[in-house]
Amino acid sequence: MPVDKKHLGRRYGPYRFQVSVEQIKDFVAATGGGVPGHAFSSPPDRYHHPWTWDEEAAKASPHGGIVAPPTFATTFAIEPFARACSDPELAVNVLRLVHGEQEFEFHEPVRPGDVLETAGEITRLQERGNLDFVEVTTTTRNQHGRVVVKGVWTAIVRN
Amino acid sequence: MKRLQDFTAGDTFELVREVDPYRPVYYAGASGDFNPIHIDPELGRAAGYQGVILQGMCTFSWLSDACVGYLGDPTRLVRLRGRFTKPVQVGDVIRIEGRCVAVEGGAVKLELSARNQRGEDVLKGAVAEGRVEER
Repeated sequence: MPVDKKHLGRRYGPYRFQVSVEQIKDFVAATGGGVPGHAFSSPPDRYHHPWTWDEEAAKASPHGGIVAPPTFATTFAIEPFARACSDPELAVNVLRLVHGEQEFEFHEPVRPGDVLETAGEITRLQERGNLDFVEVTTTTRNQHGRVVVKGVWTAIVRN
Repeated sequence: MKRLQDFTAGDTFELVREVDPYRPVYYAGASGDFNPIHIDPELGRAAGYQGVILQGMCTFSWLSDACVGYLGDPTRLVRLRGRFTKPVQVGDVIRIEGRCVAVEGGAVKLELSARNQRGEDVLKGAVAEGRVEER
């Protein structure tokens, strides 16, 4: 069943997320061919920019320390989208759902110690044939009140 | 580090990533995305796939990694978008190819493709933009 259009504009969050250097390194390991964690783990074995995981190299960089890779944003900014997809009011079957489209606008680097808040809103509900599009737009701000990243997340549900 | 004059329309770059059997689980742990279709092969099959599928956002990260490698600084990437067109499964080898299509002021505009070992697009319409400031 398609999602009821009355849910357009439904809001989720804000959700709080405190960034640690371990989370950034885990993300880099997982996306760079390594193994995250602190037991049986290994660093990225495929190219990953050293300023995102090598503390010595990052210290000598213009940023003076580790900066998160841009798509680390997924870890904190996904929450309103995931909440919408599993919202009982929307009644989406998660097994029939795929992530269809993604867009990010990166405004400020994310660093260890940042405290981020992400809020989201359903910005599009559309049927196309037997496919149902659910779009959530998110905005994340840091502890200085500055926008860090904006995301547009689109789920496609096969009805 | 590369400067603005080092970026030219027509530049190309690429990145290759293999999807080993544990990759979806590692990515789940590091990203917090524990949707069971990325963890449980039986559920993946129930959803119509051969087994688990890789999180689309992991592939999306590879697009970003390719761009960051070309731009030379993770903070230079200001925009990235794409459409997921085919699930990525364990055993796949994903090749990201990028091309600089324009340099306008400090804006470096990029187009990307992401294909599996069969040459099928797993993402389409992928575009990115870097901002390179003169120092």
